[in-house]
Amino acid sequence: MYGWIWRHLPGNAWVKALLSLLLALAVVYVLFQYVFPWAEPLLPFNDVTVDGQ
Amino acid sequence: MRVIVRTVSELCVTIGTVIVLFVVYVLFWTGVKADRAMDSQIDQLQDQWARRPVAAQGSGRDADAAPPEPAAYPDGKPFAVMYIPRFGFTWNKPVLQGTATNTLKKGLGHYARTAKLGQKGNFAVAGHRRTYGDPFKDFPELRPGDAVVLTDGTTWFTYRIDKKPYRTLPADIGVIDPVPRKSGYREPGRYLTLTTCEPEWGHSHRLIAWAHLDATQPVEAGKPEALRR
Repeated sequence: MYGWIWRHLPGNAWVKALLSLLLALAVVYVLFQYVFPWAEPLLPFNDVTVDGQ
Repeated sequence: MRVIVRTVSELCVTIGTVIVLFVVYVLFWTGVKADRAMDSQIDQLQDQWARRPVAAQGSGRDADAAPPEPAAYPDGKPFAVMYIPRFGFTWNKPVLQGTATNTLKKGLGHYARTAKLGQKGNFAVAGHRRTYGDPFKDFPELRPGDAVVLTDGTTWFTYRIDKKPYRTLPADIGVIDPVPRKSGYREPGRYLTLTTCEPEWGHSHRLIAWAHLDATQPVEAGKPEALRR
């Protein structure tokens, strides 16, 4: 999987490394901004009221 | 064969990394976000209070009179700041209207159908025990006599805790009744109820603390006794 990505990135090794880093940062950003805020309310830490809202 | 093994192991490493990132998000990043959100809610309140004309408040009101009935609180907006010296002298959190999940990310939430601040009945407030800034982390430390101080910009309200935190089930809505069940209160009065989750990281139970209104004073009179060091 990662080997496939590495082979399909353009440029020499340095450019590839930089692009991989950017890709990894983009993935982390998407996770923190969209995926985790969606997943977090499924955990029990939000249940602090007594009327089950 | 080698390709399959490699892909599977890469997937496992990826999932492990995502789980670690998620833990970082829940334990750390929600706190950072919540602290920022709570600060901005308090700033918003203080701006709002600063813009209000001074002459309209406190003039000619005698000290014993009950505070005037406040206007309806808009949903999801802050209307008061809470101080609990037991949680630390710098502990202060905004109180927002409603207990929706998104509201509780920005501060404490006032149960919409309970009494308004300082009024007859039960002013009930819910807050996170863990995650989102851990506002009620030290909830079990509350003891009878502890002060819970709130201000709505015109009046300081000092409530006093009457019992050690009470553990109950999530469906026990009687604890936020005007005269809360199991609280030991017999007559209608001006009460405050705090609720949070129990155990600390779970959701099987709730912890409840009850207080009664002990004193009020206009903000012009300065901070109440409980907040002075």
